Amino acid sequence: MRQVKLVLLSWLLGCIFVTAQNKQILYDFTEIPQALMINPGMSTDFQWYAGIPVLSGISFQAGSSGLTVNDLFADDGVDFNVKVRERAIYGMSTRDELSGTYQVELLNGGFRGRNRDNFYSFGIYNEGDAIGYWFKDYAILAFEGNADQLGRKFDLGHLKTRGEMLNVFHFGINKRVDGALTLGGRAKIYSSAFNFSSTKNKGYFVTNEGQNNLLANTIDADLELRSSGLNEIEDAIDNDSSLLPGILTRRLFFGGDLGFGIDLGFTYKLNKQTVITGSLLDLGFIYSSTDVKNYTIKGNATVEGIQVILPDAFSNSNADFWQDLVDEVDALVPHGTNNKSYIYFRPTKLYGSLRYNWGEPSNPSMDCDCNYMVSKRKDYTKYANGVGGQLYVINRPKGPQAALTAFYLRRFGRALALKTTYTVDKFSWSNIGLGLNLQAGPVNIYVMADNLLAYNNLADSHYSSFQLGLNIISWGKK
Amino acid sequence: MFLEGFGMKNRILLPAIIMLALYSCIERQNFDQYDDLEIIPTVEASILYIESPERLLNEIQGQDFYSQDFNFDGFSEDAFSDRVLDGFIFYEIENTTSKEMEATVEFLDEGGNTLDTQYFHVDPAPTPLVQLQVAYGTGTGRSIEIIKNTSSIKVSVLNLGDNSSVSNLPDPKIIFRSSGKFRLRLK
Repeated sequence: MRQVKLVLLSWLLGCIFVTAQNKQILYDFTEIPQALMINPGMSTDFQWYAGIPVLSGISFQAGSSGLTVNDLFADDGVDFNVKVRERAIYGMSTRDELSGTYQVELLNGGFRGRNRDNFYSFGIYNEGDAIGYWFKDYAILAFEGNADQLGRKFDLGHLKTRGEMLNVFHFGINKRVDGALTLGGRAKIYSSAFNFSSTKNKGYFVTNEGQNNLLANTIDADLELRSSGLNEIEDAIDNDSSLLPGILTRRLFFGGDLGFGIDLGFTYKLNKQTVITGSLLDLGFIYSSTDVKNYTIKGNATVEGIQVILPDAFSNSNADFWQDLVDEVDALVPHGTNNKSYIYFRPTKLYGSLRYNWGEPSNPSMDCDCNYMVSKRKDYTKYANGVGGQLYVINRPKGPQAALTAFYLRRFGRALALKTTYTVDKFSWSNIGLGLNLQAGPVNIYVMADNLLAYNNLADSHYSSFQLGLNIISWGKK
Repeated sequence: MFLEGFGMKNRILLPAIIMLALYSCIERQNFDQYDDLEIIPTVEASILYIESPERLLNEIQGQDFYSQDFNFDGFSEDAFSDRVLDGFIFYEIENTTSKEMEATVEFLDEGGNTLDTQYFHVDPAPTPLVQLQVAYGTGTGRSIEIIKNTSSIKVSVLNLGDNSSVSNLPDPKIIFRSSGKFRLRLK
């Protein structure tokens, strides 16, 4: 039970920090090395780059599609119970979610190979991801109960959640095939600290008029919560929290569940000014075998209280009818735990974009003191302006979830580039984001924020994200 | 040259960032409201069902037809007793036999002491359903402590009729039904 609470706590904490994982501002922002992480086939002209450890890429995203903090906690004089009932319990649907992701790059670097068409990148990042859909019928059952709801089936399938924390060790190759096409791939080894998932639940609970007695309560359940890595963490929290950093560190560096995945991507120039890109990320799995504990409930039973049919019951008049009833329900709806290992798949993501570039191109051989910033690639022309659209799809427990983005990219020489985005997804139809990339000598700094219109009242925002990073970049000597 | 360019950009960027900082704010939130949250579901379920054919009433001589003490831990489980606020017990007795009867339902605590007693007088068939709703914990109801401390239920039935008559209704039986409906404070 405590472990279930730990899962819920992890989920809630995850939800505070997270959301839809979409990095639409960073995507194809070719001045920034971290953009390679979401399209390994991005067109790039770096000679080498080195991320400042821990600071090279930090991103937090948080979202709630159905409810905002302000909806519940605004100091508006409305009874809190009314707000919870109207806006949460009945106001949200089972497609509404709380979800989120954070990523912190521990190490990230890249270098161009002897074959100058090849660029290699590598690193380690830590990631946490959690999602929980609104468990509506559970909430209604908890708040209203089953009284006076004859025939209403409470759907036990409304429980859908998953979450994890892991380290990702990666190595990627980016290859310019010709002047038009760049391909990329990245291999990933996942080292998981913990994960939990409960996504394939089925069943219902219903109260009907009884066949014999006044009421019949029926449960038909096929529920499972799988977890890996939580037991030891729970013990550490309960007994000696100083052990926790060591446990997490060991698990995150190959001492826990391991998995494998790949990223794929491409960039293709349809003509000199039009570019199409795409990437598929985290096509991979993790094998959970460490510290596994799965909770299951499966079966169906109908209860009409203690039933005594005479004269048959005279033969066992000393029986404990209550205990017999409890035992019967236990037998019909067995619940328990097991330690069976399992495989789970990472949330795969798909990006695509179409961009049209125009305006005065950056001069690749401009006369300045910043020779480390000058690309040697003659085909690598950066125009002052770029406009286009992006698609993002992520695989979620309730199926694919998409976002559409329109963007405008503006370069001010080689020192500054801005990208602004307008994104439509299930969280918001008014999501305007802004990304800023500064190149101060070899030092690269980027900052990005999302859903800026919501900044007039952050508490009323369904979604917000923030990314920043610090790198050293070289484009090679002139 | 680069720094000059960078400085020029700052003339655009700095005001923009300051504007954003000024623009961004959070309306006043009152998280203490969470303390006001009440989660009080009303739950209902059947409790006890007993049925006997008229044949058995004729076979057992004397008035003391049936008496049974049923262990019933449903009310005394911490998950229930620590949270129950108030509620009702519903009784329904259906008699299609030719017997006049008296039924007694007693709620007993763990020591076997009677906490509450409910009598039912049942006329011989044809007779309407005997239905009764007993409140606990509400203003005029009986103490909810009775429910919280109930560990077993004793049911006794007296046959006030004879041991020979037969009802002319099909499949004559005496049937006792009961259910409970309670409000629980989860928060």
